[in-house]
Amino acid sequence: MSFWQAHLVVLPVVLPLAAGALMLLFDEGRYALKAAISVAATLALVAAAIALARLADAGAVHVYRLGDWPAPFGIVLVADRLSAVLVLLASALGFAALVFSLARWSRAGPRFHALFQFLLMGVNGAFLTGDLFNLFVFFEVFLAASYGLALYGSGAARVRAGLHYIAVNLTASLLFLIGASLLYGITGTLNMADLAVRVPAVAAGDRMLLEAGAAILGIAFLVKAGMWPLGFWLPGTYAAASAPAAAVFAILTKVGVYAVLRVSLLVFGAEAGASAGFGGDWLVLGGMLTLAFGVICMLAAQELSRLAAFSLLVSSGTLLAAIGTGGVAVTGAALYYLVVSTLGVGAFFLLIELVERGRAPGANVLAVTAEAFGLGDADGEIPAEEVVGIAIPAAVGVLGVTFACCALLLAGLPPLPGFIAKFALLAALLDPDPISAAAWSLLVLLTVSGLAATIATARAGVRIFWASPERSVPRVAVIEMAPVVLLLALCAGLTVQAGPAMRYLQDTAQSLHAPRGYIEGVLAR
Amino acid sequence: MTATIALPLAILLPLVLGTAVAPLAARRARAAAVWTAAAVTAAAALILAAAAPPVLAGGAVQALWPWIPALGLNVALRLDGLGLLFAGLILAIGLLVILYAHYYLGSRDPAGKFFGLLMLFMAAMLGVVLADNLLLLVVFWELTSVASFLLIGYWSERAESRQGARMALAVTGAGGLALLAGVLLLGAAGGTFEISALAAARDRVQASPLFPVALALVLLGAFTKSAQFPFHFWLPEAMAAPTPVSAYLHSATMVKAGVFLLLRLYPVLGGNAPFEYAACTVGLVTMVFGAYVAIFRHDLKGLLAYSTISHLGLIVFLIGLDSPLSAVAAVFHVVNHATFKASLFMAAGIVDHECGTRDMRRINGLWRYMPYTATLAIVAAAAMAGVPLLNGFLSKEMFFAEALGMHHLGVLGAVAPYAATLGGAFGVAYSARFVHDVFFNGAPRGLPRTPHEPPRFMKVPVEILVVICIAVGVLPALTVGPVVDLAATAVLGGALPAHSLALWHGFNAPLALSMIATALGGALYWALARKYDLHLHAPSGWTARLLFTRALDGLFAASARLTSALDNGSLQRQLALLVTTAVGLGAVAFAAGGRLAGARALLPVTPLAAAAWLVLVAAALGVVRLHRTRLTAVILAGAIGLVSALGFAYFSAPDLALTQLAVEVVTTILLLLALAALPRTSPRESGPGRRARDLALAGLAGAGVAAIAFAAMTRERDSIAGYFLENAVPKGGGANVVNVILVDFRGFDTFGEITVLVIAALGVAALLTGMVTHRPATDPAGRPWSVQRVPLVFAAAVRWMLPFALLVSVYLFLRGHNAPGGGFIAALVVAAGIATVYMSEGFARTERAIALDYARVAALGVLVAAATGAGAIGFGRPFLASAHGHPALPPFGEVPLATAALFDLGVYLAVIGATLLMLVELARVPGRDAE
Repeated sequence: MSFWQAHLVVLPVVLPLAAGALMLLFDEGRYALKAAISVAATLALVAAAIALARLADAGAVHVYRLGDWPAPFGIVLVADRLSAVLVLLASALGFAALVFSLARWSRAGPRFHALFQFLLMGVNGAFLTGDLFNLFVFFEVFLAASYGLALYGSGAARVRAGLHYIAVNLTASLLFLIGASLLYGITGTLNMADLAVRVPAVAAGDRMLLEAGAAILGIAFLVKAGMWPLGFWLPGTYAAASAPAAAVFAILTKVGVYAVLRVSLLVFGAEAGASAGFGGDWLVLGGMLTLAFGVICMLAAQELSRLAAFSLLVSSGTLLAAIGTGGVAVTGAALYYLVVSTLGVGAFFLLIELVERGRAPGANVLAVTAEAFGLGDADGEIPAEEVVGIAIPAAVGVLGVTFACCALLLAGLPPLPGFIAKFALLAALLDPDPISAAAWSLLVLLTVSGLAATIATARAGVRIFWASPERSVPRVAVIEMAPVVLLLALCAGLTVQAGPAMRYLQDTAQSLHAPRGYIEGVLAR
Repeated sequence: MTATIALPLAILLPLVLGTAVAPLAARRARAAAVWTAAAVTAAAALILAAAAPPVLAGGAVQALWPWIPALGLNVALRLDGLGLLFAGLILAIGLLVILYAHYYLGSRDPAGKFFGLLMLFMAAMLGVVLADNLLLLVVFWELTSVASFLLIGYWSERAESRQGARMALAVTGAGGLALLAGVLLLGAAGGTFEISALAAARDRVQASPLFPVALALVLLGAFTKSAQFPFHFWLPEAMAAPTPVSAYLHSATMVKAGVFLLLRLYPVLGGNAPFEYAACTVGLVTMVFGAYVAIFRHDLKGLLAYSTISHLGLIVFLIGLDSPLSAVAAVFHVVNHATFKASLFMAAGIVDHECGTRDMRRINGLWRYMPYTATLAIVAAAAMAGVPLLNGFLSKEMFFAEALGMHHLGVLGAVAPYAATLGGAFGVAYSARFVHDVFFNGAPRGLPRTPHEPPRFMKVPVEILVVICIAVGVLPALTVGPVVDLAATAVLGGALPAHSLALWHGFNAPLALSMIATALGGALYWALARKYDLHLHAPSGWTARLLFTRALDGLFAASARLTSALDNGSLQRQLALLVTTAVGLGAVAFAAGGRLAGARALLPVTPLAAAAWLVLVAAALGVVRLHRTRLTAVILAGAIGLVSALGFAYFSAPDLALTQLAVEVVTTILLLLALAALPRTSPRESGPGRRARDLALAGLAGAGVAAIAFAAMTRERDSIAGYFLENAVPKGGGANVVNVILVDFRGFDTFGEITVLVIAALGVAALLTGMVTHRPATDPAGRPWSVQRVPLVFAAAVRWMLPFALLVSVYLFLRGHNAPGGGFIAALVVAAGIATVYMSEGFARTERAIALDYARVAALGVLVAAATGAGAIGFGRPFLASAHGHPALPPFGEVPLATAALFDLGVYLAVIGATLLMLVELARVPGRDAE
């Protein structure tokens, strides 16, 4: 194994950290330098993630022992297909959001790039770590960065929503700590693979404590995923956040989903003895409630940003319910759905700002901010109207087409892969014979939610692009449009290459449902 | 050309080339877009023609490209008789529509958008009729919904376009989803999504328990698309589209997709009672209903739209019927309807274009202004009515023949002939109205412009279609007969019974019905026009369209109400839900049963411990009771922390005690600084009910945590902790196990946590930058605000103390690896020391004296830690691997050194930087008053 391959697993954590810390050493005003560092680091991250995804596809898990301590005593990073895919997803989404921010947002407040890199570090760490407490640490890393980014750009609405976000997530972190401590208290280990080994051996009298700990831990994850009724903080925060922040936040809900998926299939999988399949029914129920709630809210949403935020709830609900039903094929389809819906919502969040820009001349967020916070023309502020870079021609047409693509993705209509994802899920749900009641209800819900999303996005699109002739033609920079197009192009690529992508993700699901390879890989002496 | 290439190419040409190039060409000139679209269409037609010979010989050609084999979704295309017939209609009428649209579109209508969307739509339709994979068919099906949505909304500035488009999307989109679900069920029942394979497995599919649901869902999809009652209402609304689009949608595409689906799936779904009853009933009702409503429409296109609904009902009825000849009749009528309806729409478009209105109460007597166009339209309308010598007559007669032969269907079979005759009569009546009202019936009333004949080439498409109507009507067997037979064979999947498409079958019952219907229809129109005065008819208020709009509005309003009821934006409610869920799920787990107390013996309670415990409880209760007096609450919270520190010390955890102590000091300082920016007391916001709820929740949550802590602490278990105790000295090179865990065994956690601290500090700084507080000039008692000077003794003491603090810090840092201490604690000591300097010397003065950018210090710390970790990589070991040794340095002798100390230095710097950054930013806020 080459030098690079040997240390590839730790790169997605260390690289953004080093870039972020490095940028703090430079003065606030050196935008170009910071932008260069940030873009270079993120590009390198994408490259590393691609390499990691290819490496993981060989089938074996790649275990990286930090400090050279053996598991379960030291901390390990573990790259299997699931982790690698999600790191790749996070870095691609991050790259798009970062490029978008260069036009305007990265200059609207202090230390944007550093916070952004730290966020990526936390997310990647959470996807890669094989240790429950280390997972907590990386949750804290990306949460701390997301607190900064949620408040980024200030303004009364953003601060109010951001403070709610912080309060709820700090409480959730406390629950995480309680849950993790309890699991450690019962099993005596924090390594997830070791937990998987020890859980079947837990004495019957201790099982209630184990499951209480797992339930509390699960709540901490589900808060991140925005499950009903724990996710009321989500729409307000995401809708109020600046566009690049909201776009990259789309991956944060998926960290919650990932944690649920990882822990439930590894620790409470088929071999977990008396606790096998723990919580699956609750997940199905909660997921379906979330899905229903998200769909109803999408129909009610008046603002685009809230529509996008609610579609995140729909996607979380779909994923949680799908994970809860179990089944290898369902999991594989759910992973495809996860990738596609994250890219789609990310693109949508970015696009919304561009669309709204043409709609509400004068109602400018930054102007309001500056007034409320007495910001004047301090260093680091640029007039909001000014867009850096070259403006694209035929802005309305391009915006219309990209909006339509996002709507198709969210509603799950062809030809974009939202459709493939949905139908793969449905097909997998219908596979077992006889079809379970949960699968039937999820089938109905998913179908109805697709219709509701179609109606809601069509209504919004008609209102914005067709029904407001007085709208001014927005000035949209190429570097703002390019990331949206990039994300949509990735989706288009996932349509054309759906065969290989689905194969990869089905293999991922296969190894998730048979975690022996993961456990042996981690605990090998 | 082989079919493998030809079939995908025929779809891809309009899909990619057409949608992309037409809009680009339109930038140069309208004509360029027209020619591009026409060329693409013609090319697709030629490609299909090249692949057609085997089909004409009675076979089929296929193309198979794997797409997602794992899911059974492949690009499987198949050209058989049915597909060929439909593809031919789509392309031929498409070509005529393109030519027509060239003259129809106004100079300000964006041609690129029009032709691009038209090409997209054409490609989607071709995909539907060529797909051999049901899922692929659904993909294209949904694409037709999307494309038609965009086409109907083409004139987006008009409200009726927007409404029509949204309605079409909602109805056909819903149908599409039903179809998807149905197709998935069919796939589950038949084990494949390939249509030809499903047809072969027909018995297995129809025997499956899933079949009834699947059938219902597929029919729902087909009925919504083909505008069958009660889903018909979107079609008249779609009239808001430009007329070329309407002509296309109504004749060869969109609504025909539903009919096509029924024909295509007939080998899989058909031949059983539920299918026959459902399709025949819905078809018959739609046929009569549509024809009846059409008579009363004043809008020219509205009349044609309801006529389309009626004719689609007729076709659906024929497909449903379990008789071989009815399939022939259905296919034949598809062709006939496409030709006369397309020409009628184009004629209506010409009338609209020339008169500026489509209201038949105003456009009368156009015969005088445009006799040539009128002749064409009259012939087409006659075909619609089913007048002999025209194609409509032939298929309608076949329809009557089938309606008479439904004896196996009981009541439905008995009613059918009457209903068919009635529908036929209505059809004659609205056709008569179309001809009479538009071209005769007096003179035009108040038209915005004087009508005249349209440009020469605008009439060409109409002429071609009308000629076809006549040719087929006179010589059916020589013109479309062979193709119809091919298509019907594909539907029935076997040899056709003996039949002949001919004009004259002798005097028989169908002819009699046809004559009755014609006479009845003529009389009906005469009566309505003369006795009822049709022009004064006002449509009734209750229409399906209205119900649908109301339902949708109700849905939006209800979801808005539900949303705001569930999510009122209250943080308190969210936290209460969160805690409730946690307590609830914990209780569910506990309900499974088990003993709370573990096997470990409890320690005796000493008086000291009891006293400390009492202080702890008292302080905690005090915080709850006095939390509105903020300063008191902070001090009491500090007391809780101090007691905890004592507890740690008491239970032999000096590192934890030190850490707790230092953290307590620094957080208290930070909290006090924050308090300076806040009012002195919190207002009382919650009522007694809420307080009771919160008390109960907090009590339960606290009791729950206490219970699980007690349970966990009283249990013995085998844990990884032993490894750390054994290996701290030999492998970690440090006698202080806590520190070795922090900087070595689990250094990666520490690495993450210092990053968290730095990020939090940056977040605080970002939030507070520029924040302005509104500090009152006086206190509640009216006394003016004054800034108290720092006591001299305090300032002097601090100056003495700071060097000691720094020295202690260095000492704690250095000894950390082997004795209680370490970077984290040492850094907090420095931070507390410097904080006191800020207090005693004043903010501005200290800042000048220290002149350090704390963010940089923090960043440097993180970088040092990272570089230490990365250093190990240089030695070929993993990130953060440590090395330690006892080298002999001349003046000091043997010195214990560990790379972990370097890492700890990073921790030290990061903590100092982050803490002081927060401190400074917090201290700055009150300095910026609003004034």
